[in-house]
Amino acid sequence: MRRSTTLMLLGAALLLPSASAAYSGPKVTISYLHGFTGPDRPVMEGLIKQFNSTHPNIEVKAQAQPWGTTWQQLPSLVASGRSPDVVVINEDQITGFVARGAVSPLTPAELKSAGIDQSRFYGPLFKTADYKGKSYGVPISSVAYVMFYNKDLMKKAGLDPNKPPRTREEFLKAAQACTVDKNGKKAGQDGFDAKNLDTWGVSLYNNWVGSRLAYAAILQNGGSLVDKDENAAFNSPQAASAVQFLVDLVSKYNVARPNSTEEAELAAFSQGKVCMFPSGQWYNDRFEQQKMNYGVAFLPQIGGTKQDAAWGGSSHLTLPKQRAGYDANKRAAALEFINWMTQPAQNLTWTSTGSLPTQAAVASNKKLADQKISGIFSKLSSIYAVSGFPWSGQVLSPFDNAWENAYLGKKPVQQALNDGVSEANKQIGQARKSLQ
Amino acid sequence: MTSTSDQVARQPRQRPAQRVSLVPYLYLLPHAILFLLFVVYPVGYGLYVSFHRWDLLQETRPFVGVEYYRNLFDPSTPQSQFFWQTLKNTLFFTVVSVPLLVISSLGLAVLLHRPIFGRAFFRAVFFLPGILTVSVMGILWRWMFDNQIGLVNAVITQFFHRQPIPFLSTEWLAWIPIVVGTVWWTIGFNMTLYLAALGNISESLYEAASLDGATAWQQFRGITLPLLTPQTLFVVVTTALASLQLYGQSLVITNGGPTRTTQSVIQYITEEGFSNNQAASATAMAFVFGVIMLIFTAAQFRIMARDVQGGN
Repeated sequence: MRRSTTLMLLGAALLLPSASAAYSGPKVTISYLHGFTGPDRPVMEGLIKQFNSTHPNIEVKAQAQPWGTTWQQLPSLVASGRSPDVVVINEDQITGFVARGAVSPLTPAELKSAGIDQSRFYGPLFKTADYKGKSYGVPISSVAYVMFYNKDLMKKAGLDPNKPPRTREEFLKAAQACTVDKNGKKAGQDGFDAKNLDTWGVSLYNNWVGSRLAYAAILQNGGSLVDKDENAAFNSPQAASAVQFLVDLVSKYNVARPNSTEEAELAAFSQGKVCMFPSGQWYNDRFEQQKMNYGVAFLPQIGGTKQDAAWGGSSHLTLPKQRAGYDANKRAAALEFINWMTQPAQNLTWTSTGSLPTQAAVASNKKLADQKISGIFSKLSSIYAVSGFPWSGQVLSPFDNAWENAYLGKKPVQQALNDGVSEANKQIGQARKSLQ
Repeated sequence: MTSTSDQVARQPRQRPAQRVSLVPYLYLLPHAILFLLFVVYPVGYGLYVSFHRWDLLQETRPFVGVEYYRNLFDPSTPQSQFFWQTLKNTLFFTVVSVPLLVISSLGLAVLLHRPIFGRAFFRAVFFLPGILTVSVMGILWRWMFDNQIGLVNAVITQFFHRQPIPFLSTEWLAWIPIVVGTVWWTIGFNMTLYLAALGNISESLYEAASLDGATAWQQFRGITLPLLTPQTLFVVVTTALASLQLYGQSLVITNGGPTRTTQSVIQYITEEGFSNNQAASATAMAFVFGVIMLIFTAAQFRIMARDVQGGN
């Protein structure tokens, strides 16, 4: 890992010089606040160093602090006119901050003069930071839900390990083929004991990570979390039918374990007990280190055939609102910084942290071609974040609860979703008032 | 007790009024400043916030009176539903965990007060978990009680050949890892308090009692327990207050689930304030919860003062 990072930094440095400096004003110092505090921090610091050394008239001073701290501090920083010049905001927070007026829009003219070309990025990813027709941020980092699958186990079950399922029928067939009880009986056979599974088809579980699969299934079937008025709407017929199929995997087809937890399924997949493990792409490193024989595929269309979809998270470079009389040079320099940081060369460097490419030009880079995760690169434009409405907290918490109720069998699917929507809409009602 | 209060009452009469100097107030000043700055001002400001529709980023923060307090008493709002449910959860945890924490730490202290082999080692063993952070302790007990791969379920399936019990996703059962984990985590502190108190009880009392033929249990009932009353009350009050402030354990072990049954009231207030961005609503809840804690503490202190006097 360390070695590949160095190689990529080297590669990025060679690719770099073509981006000529758009900012030619007097020397300015801009402050930059981000939440990359883990193993991704040294990569970010390397990039900033590189920017500073190639931009003599801009000095970026970066500060890394946990995301949660930033969400709590940003409102008071903006309100008191002391916000940093550039702040990284994540997909689930950005629309809330936009609606509350903490972030300033990036006008088409500004984007153009800084050389930031929206069409370079994956469409839904760039739109994550859009609100009411305006852009508020440029994506710098991206994670997504993928489907890990165990090639050895699939081969054992008589499936082609190089052809992961794409449709609901293929998916169900594969899951059933993988499900064997401790006496060697397959799902559906006489005497099959669903309570004592030896291996099984798919991992489902009850926490928020588990519920992101339900989100993807709903999108695949043409449903959504909120309607056009930004009220919760995840109890639509499309949503209910998509979630019902996931619940049926447990209760009707017996190809997933009931009452499971993320830790248990993760351990089961690592031990070769389960064929398909849909989860965050961030587990890739872990499986890589375990030297498993696995593949990474884009989520099959299990919710419906309306569109390909998977959940994704993202981080965006934004320019927070500043006090009146803010130095225009600083804004120009900040835009220059944003443009540089999101260039293909820098994004390629950034993928060494485990982030997915934010743009097709990076995904097609040869350096990434032999990585397992590249199996999903052709579908990166079908990754959807939870964004575009200012009350993600009010919607996601009831949604996660609804998934938990449905998955654990505590409520019928439609009722679980209805209850979640009713709770979410009451919360939204209060949030609407405070945004007036 | 009485002699002390007499002295206190006599002192001002001995000291002429003119000689009251600024000096004592200067000594108090540093603390007074900090107290005003970090306690009185924030509390007052918080009260102000709770009467307004509050968002730092909005230009107007209209006065809404008791709207957010009224929400808590209007059954149709999610705020009232979840606030009272999570408060009930918290009280349930307190009622279950406090007797366990007090009785087990007393029992341990009595055992480890005796000159048994390896006493210091066992004292350290029971005290050590307390130095862990709540996240370490939480992850540990979540794994122990995991629905499938937990150690507890491994024992149930391997040795007793029963179906695994889904502790983490069953209402009420999800409390077991939280309560057991909390007892394991905090028992050492109370045990240490009891050990110190046990050391102060004179051996002659036990000698006299055993000469009179009192059994070990009678000695414990008649000597140890009454003489430990002040410590017991202190332990009960501090443990109860700590239990009411339940947050980290249920956050890490169950994240409040399943379906909010183990969510603590503080976790819900945090959710309302920082996830739902409803600062004023969360502040109002915090005040209501604060008042409930105050009443509770006042009642406990009352009982404590009375019993300590009676005990002595």
